[in-house]
Amino acid sequence: MNADRLTITPSATEPIYRQIGSQLRRLIASGQLSAGEELPSVRDVAVQHAVNPMTVSRAYSQLEAEGLLTRLRGRGMVVAQSAHAILSPEQRLARLQPQLADIARQARELDIPARLIVQRLRSLLEDAE
Amino acid sequence: MSAVRSSETSADSSIRCERITKRYAGQMVLRGVSLEMTRGTVLGLIGRNGAGKTTLIRILLGLEQPDEGRAFVLGEPSLGLTDATKQRVGYVPQQPDAFAWMRIGDMLEFVGRQYPRWDSDFVALSLARWQISVDRRLETLSPGERQRIALIRGLAVNPDLLLLDEPASALDPVARRDLLREIVARAAETGTTVFFSTHIVSDLERVASRVVFLHDHRIVVDAALDDLADTHARLTVPAGSPALSASQVAGEVSRRRQTDGSVTLVIARAGGAEWPEIVAAPGARLDALNLEDLFIEIAR
Repeated sequence: MNADRLTITPSATEPIYRQIGSQLRRLIASGQLSAGEELPSVRDVAVQHAVNPMTVSRAYSQLEAEGLLTRLRGRGMVVAQSAHAILSPEQRLARLQPQLADIARQARELDIPARLIVQRLRSLLEDAE
Repeated sequence: MSAVRSSETSADSSIRCERITKRYAGQMVLRGVSLEMTRGTVLGLIGRNGAGKTTLIRILLGLEQPDEGRAFVLGEPSLGLTDATKQRVGYVPQQPDAFAWMRIGDMLEFVGRQYPRWDSDFVALSLARWQISVDRRLETLSPGERQRIALIRGLAVNPDLLLLDEPASALDPVARRDLLREIVARAAETGTTVFFSTHIVSDLERVASRVVFLHDHRIVVDAALDDLADTHARLTVPAGSPALSASQVAGEVSRRRQTDGSVTLVIARAGGAEWPEIVAAPGARLDALNLEDLFIEIAR
């Protein structure tokens, strides 16, 4: 992953370490960052975004404590093998958000009542179980 | 924050101020300022013009003498810094005007000879990046160019401690970002301790790990920037609220009466502690603050 995939807004009330943490969580949840993928070094993120290195390492340490990242000797931080499973169902659901939004839009265009869509979705989910 | 400390200087402390007070012609400039900074910290000092920022930096460097209290830099008293310690300190003044008659190249060479760790590659690279010719005389430079030269000079000594007084005031946004990146790279790679004053709050929010706010000649906020949203907040209490009868709310930093009679306070708490009871008073509202809000709320 490249350091410039992160967006940092210094004037936000959300502290910068939390901005970094929530973006990485989202990227992992949506599968844009997969298990084993290397994160940019603390120095790279700090210099790229002109933010304090301790702030970056605090974000990394927090995700490491949550089990989402693993520190590998000689390679720095990588996305943990189990990272995906650790995320809550809501966080994993976020990955389906574009498809769900698309279905909702098409249902409106086709004038299908929400009740029918939910019914069909439920039966599909139950079939799969 | 203002706890009494022993006069033994710990090896880890890069800067220490003990109850510094300074007056000019009877005018108070600093009132009982105490501060300690460990190695590797990037500390941003904010405050309005005239709050005493420059005086504090000059006292740290031993360029001025406090009326009361003491300052230490890298373990030595500021008023008796040895040459060996001076060589480990980089200083960028707000209005660099020394050696104005000299050519840039000559000045940098002259200064460089006095510093064993002088990095002439860094000087050459920076001059090229900022497109400044070494043949020009310092007095012919624009304020922005002069500030860049002062930065090159302060950074080329590869300091353990870097003191910057409003380093970005005359820089354009691109040069400012270059400077912030340089500060960050040094903090990350060599653990350089950086103490910089500014009133550009967004710069401070990016690069600092700690913020100290000088107001009315004393320190009113001294906080880890990452925790600021947890430790400081704005409390608005409606007009005539009986909850405000107490003369001072626990953790009160500042208080301001609005035109509609309501009162806004900035309140602080230790990380993880509870807010005072008043935040639950009828009609009271607690808002998160970013640094700029905080600055304006207190300094207005």
